[in-house]
Amino acid sequence: MFFWKTWKALQAQGVMGINRRNADYVLKYNKRHLYPVVDDKILTKERAIAAGINVPEMYGIIDTEKDIDKFDSIVAPYSDFVVKPAQGAGGDGILVIADRYEGRYRTVSGKIISHEEIEHHISSILSGLYSLGGHRDRVLIEYRVTPDEIFKSISYEGVPDIRIICLMGYPVMGMLRLPTRQSGGKANLHQGAIGVGVDLATGLTLKGTWLNNIINKHPDTTNPVEGVQLPDWNGFMTLAASCYELSGLGYIGVDLVLDQDKGPLILELNARPGLNIQIANDTGLTARCHLVEHHLAALKKAGKTETVDERVAFSQLHFGAQLNAEPSDTQPSPEPA
Amino acid sequence: MHSINLHLKILIAVLVSLGFLITGYQIYVLDIPVTEDETDDIWSLDAKVEFRATPGTPIKAQFYIPPLNQEYVSLNESFISNNYGVSVNSQNGNRRVTWSSRRASGNQTLYYRLVLTKRYSEEQAAAAPPPPRQPIPLEGPEQIAADALINPIRQHSADIETFISETIRRVNDITDDNVKLLLNGGTGAMDKARVIDLLLSNARIPLEMVHTIRLENTEAQSPELWLRSYNGERWMYFHPETGQQGMPDNRLVWWTGPEPLLSMEGGRQSNVALTVTNSEMNALRLAKLTTENRASALLEYSLYGLPLQAQRVYQVMIMIPIGVLVILVLRNLIGVQTLGTFTPVLIALAFRETDIVWGIALFTIIIALGLSLRSYLEHLKLQMLPRLSVVLTFVVLLIAVISLISHKLGMERALAVSLFPMVILTMTIERLSITWEERGAGHSLKAAVGTMIAATLAHLLMTIPELTYFVFTFPAVLLILVAFMLAMGRYRGYRLTELVRFKALSKQA
Repeated sequence: MFFWKTWKALQAQGVMGINRRNADYVLKYNKRHLYPVVDDKILTKERAIAAGINVPEMYGIIDTEKDIDKFDSIVAPYSDFVVKPAQGAGGDGILVIADRYEGRYRTVSGKIISHEEIEHHISSILSGLYSLGGHRDRVLIEYRVTPDEIFKSISYEGVPDIRIICLMGYPVMGMLRLPTRQSGGKANLHQGAIGVGVDLATGLTLKGTWLNNIINKHPDTTNPVEGVQLPDWNGFMTLAASCYELSGLGYIGVDLVLDQDKGPLILELNARPGLNIQIANDTGLTARCHLVEHHLAALKKAGKTETVDERVAFSQLHFGAQLNAEPSDTQPSPEPA
Repeated sequence: MHSINLHLKILIAVLVSLGFLITGYQIYVLDIPVTEDETDDIWSLDAKVEFRATPGTPIKAQFYIPPLNQEYVSLNESFISNNYGVSVNSQNGNRRVTWSSRRASGNQTLYYRLVLTKRYSEEQAAAAPPPPRQPIPLEGPEQIAADALINPIRQHSADIETFISETIRRVNDITDDNVKLLLNGGTGAMDKARVIDLLLSNARIPLEMVHTIRLENTEAQSPELWLRSYNGERWMYFHPETGQQGMPDNRLVWWTGPEPLLSMEGGRQSNVALTVTNSEMNALRLAKLTTENRASALLEYSLYGLPLQAQRVYQVMIMIPIGVLVILVLRNLIGVQTLGTFTPVLIALAFRETDIVWGIALFTIIIALGLSLRSYLEHLKLQMLPRLSVVLTFVVLLIAVISLISHKLGMERALAVSLFPMVILTMTIERLSITWEERGAGHSLKAAVGTMIAATLAHLLMTIPELTYFVFTFPAVLLILVAFMLAMGRYRGYRLTELVRFKALSKQA
């Protein structure tokens, strides 16, 4: 029985399935009325700025057709910028302008587009072309992130980002997402980007996953993806952990980027983070989440709460790859229910 | 969390038991058939009374008809008799019809028909116990012969039952001189019954003659005589010739007492022919028929109480939860990807109009053409609403063209596509093309195939006639369905496709 054996093996690994994620985490920890905070990138950004968390600088917002005229004045001071729908999904509708050329704009992929085309694009976003459910949307114009040099060798175009899943503010698993030729410069796993696991304790990359398989090299640059030290890893962890206070959502995927000038920045939050991160890390999420839940229950009994730094320390202590490999008796056995 | 789980468990238990209880009540207490094809035997008893009228005298024909207080219920009863007055009266648990006419001549034929069935009848009270009786007075040699028979019978018997059995055995021994004397030359069942009655009356044992008919497909049956006696608790039936005790189930009591079936005044050469025919009838129709006759609310408050037109709509509607359940299982247990959540159910409903093979073919063609139009429109950079409108109009035109072509080719089936829900098609095209752009061709194809499989499965399940009938007749099973859905709401196991997706993780274990 292939199914039964695989089922048992996955359960032993503590691999989380969609049903469990939805029932035990998303539905339990994420209150529906808080979703707009993460679904709308402008709201996320405003909250983050208010909380003093680093995000790409916002240049301007366009929310009506009439305001499209303001586009010129918004981008006038900048030569490069990003136009994105506030409620877009899967990286759709994002236009990255790298440069200007003779009164026109040049995208990162080198395509030259006219001013009219940008205006049409903005109008499409406003009409809800890229938003979930086709609702009217707003346009966000913001700072273009320049990826850190470190990713040059293991990335193809686009901006690699780092996804950290946090449960009640405790980072439980992290993954570096590298665009490939197939993903068209987008850092979305189901579009063909690579996911590379990250050791939460050190920020060293682990093996990668590509289209549900485990891989070692980037398919376009053929450089090994394993063993790369991400700079300022503690900065990433602290940013991710602080997103709990920012959003109020208990189970989120935090997408961060590493800008070569500004360091770690928060791009967006996701209330239903994908599960492929488990393949990238070669570890199940359930076991880690149970550990955090046990810890929280103990804290609650003691009547304590932990600060962002304490939470990061907890995660780094328990979810490091090296530590994880050793059998540790401090971990309570999972599966309470 | 814990209290929510308990709450959920209780809710599920309540729904399941409610569902089972109501359905069980309907099946076992109200006796509603479980399948539509279930049939019941229907017996029609035809009696044809023929006689030659004596000119110049009034005619009065008295004819016994079965009493309706037995374990059979009458569905229809009719008297066919031209120029005759008909009156039915009851006496001593018998029913008798009287046909009367002032004058008639020549051969006369009267018909009586009773249609009855065994099901759906309430328990009937048994016939009332007979009054104590006096011995029939005898004289001379007959008295001696009777005494000569009774004494050994009394010695060989212990109670009423054995007394009667012994009497029947003796009376059927026609070599016995005493019996011969009492029979007075006759050997028929009626003669024997008369002698038995005589002997038993001397022992003060009550006895009644029961004329029965066999419920078998027969032409020209003559009533079969049985005897019955009361032992203080219940009626016991005996066959006057074989001594067999207990009347078989297929016997219907036509009348009781010593009188003949037909008594005639003003006619001669009378003849009665009894014919029994058996037919089967859909059990549910039968249930409704008997309900009407009994004026009870057996089916009054079920969906069958609705007007027929509404019933037809509900027959479709009540199956939608079944389709939804299919989607639920496919998505959450197996992990099949579909476009939208309930789109497959809507498509499955659309298949009703077109038939499944045609439906899939048309669906595929229209979606494929619609998708190519959609990808062309993509270049024009249209806004969403205008674009959707264009696609919808295109779909309508496409359907019209397909209908026209197939009509010219002589395939009338495809005309049904005109009722194919166009909005569903348009939305499917839109969803599919968005998925195509966002997730690539492979993923959208997977979703499209998944949708097709889900819709086909849902359609096949939703159109099983037996299932439709069952759910429509016993809507409480939907409560059990809801309980299952609730339970699914807290299912945390893997989906089958996840086992493949995370296969890489299971390897190194």
